Amino acid sequence: MTGLWLIFILASLAAVFLAFIWVIMSLQRLQAGPKAGKKSAADLDKAYTDIAEEDATHLFNKEFREELRNRGRLRFEKIIDENAMFLKQDLDMTISQLNDYMKQQISAKLDQEFAEYAKAMQQAQELALASLQRTAQEVEAQRLQLADALQKDVTAREAALLKVYEDNMAKIVEHYVLQALGDQFDLKSQLPYIIKQVEANKQNIIEDMRL
Amino acid sequence: MSQTTPPAFVFPPALVTRADLARLVREVESVDNEFEAQKARNQATGKAGYRTPTLSRSLGDFLDLNKLDITDDHGRMVFKEQLRAVKDKAPIVHMTFAVEADPGSLAQLVTYLRKEIHPQTLLSVGLQPSLVGGAYIRTPNHVHDFSLRELLSANRGVITAALEDAMAGVVQ
Repeated sequence: MTGLWLIFILASLAAVFLAFIWVIMSLQRLQAGPKAGKKSAADLDKAYTDIAEEDATHLFNKEFREELRNRGRLRFEKIIDENAMFLKQDLDMTISQLNDYMKQQISAKLDQEFAEYAKAMQQAQELALASLQRTAQEVEAQRLQLADALQKDVTAREAALLKVYEDNMAKIVEHYVLQALGDQFDLKSQLPYIIKQVEANKQNIIEDMRL
Repeated sequence: MSQTTPPAFVFPPALVTRADLARLVREVESVDNEFEAQKARNQATGKAGYRTPTLSRSLGDFLDLNKLDITDDHGRMVFKEQLRAVKDKAPIVHMTFAVEADPGSLAQLVTYLRKEIHPQTLLSVGLQPSLVGGAYIRTPNHVHDFSLRELLSANRGVITAALEDAMAGVVQ
């Protein structure tokens, strides 16, 4: 777009320059027409040169040049302004497009990054979940093993305590009976028991007496 | 020491221990000495017969049970010697009780032993309160523990078995 404007400006300048050249040549033809056949070529040449110089002096005097300069300046400024405006518009549009493009690219990139991030997060969650499940399974297995071991230990301890209790219980009861009965029996009340026991072992005692 | 077989004297129930028998032998010897002294005095004074001294109940019972006449010099000398022999050879059963043995119970026990085990059984009595009840009997070659302590100790399994039965009932 900018190149097109530049070409347009250069073409305009070239047209102005060609118009200027055409005006100069037209003036030269008008001055050289009535005296051409009478004077020599050198004179004609000199005359034309003088006329051209005079006309050029008249035509391109200071005011005219100043006006041309002003016109050119204005024209150039106008063109520059227009070009600047177009350039600004183009730049704004480009910036807008670039912003849109950047937004799209950034959005796409962000979407892609977010998608990858979400995917990575999902994978991480799955890994964490799998790890947690595995850990939970291991903990559950260890808990079961611990519970089993504790149950066995408790059973063994219970059996040991029961055995100790049973072993000592008989002694305790016996001790209690011994302490409780103490001197409660006199020999007369024990005599039937003693005689009964002797009667039961009478044969052994008799044989022992005979030895 | 006489090698003859001791006669089958019947001991009175009051004669329980070897000490009682020794006391009986000493009393017989004492009576014999008394009769010898009276005999010497009678020979000096020309009197005849003996004045029987007061006898203990144990000796009186012994003489009655065995139908012995203590005034018979020959018979007294014979049974005195025999009684000494019996004192050395009579089987002794050592019995330890948890409580003090009263004479009546000892007499009943020794009567049973003389009837069922040996007619001249003598007792050696001991006291051991830890037996609680019953008796600890030691014969010449054996020991028989009929004490309540031994009975309880031997039946500890009964308590354990009862406990196991009870626990089995609770578990079911």
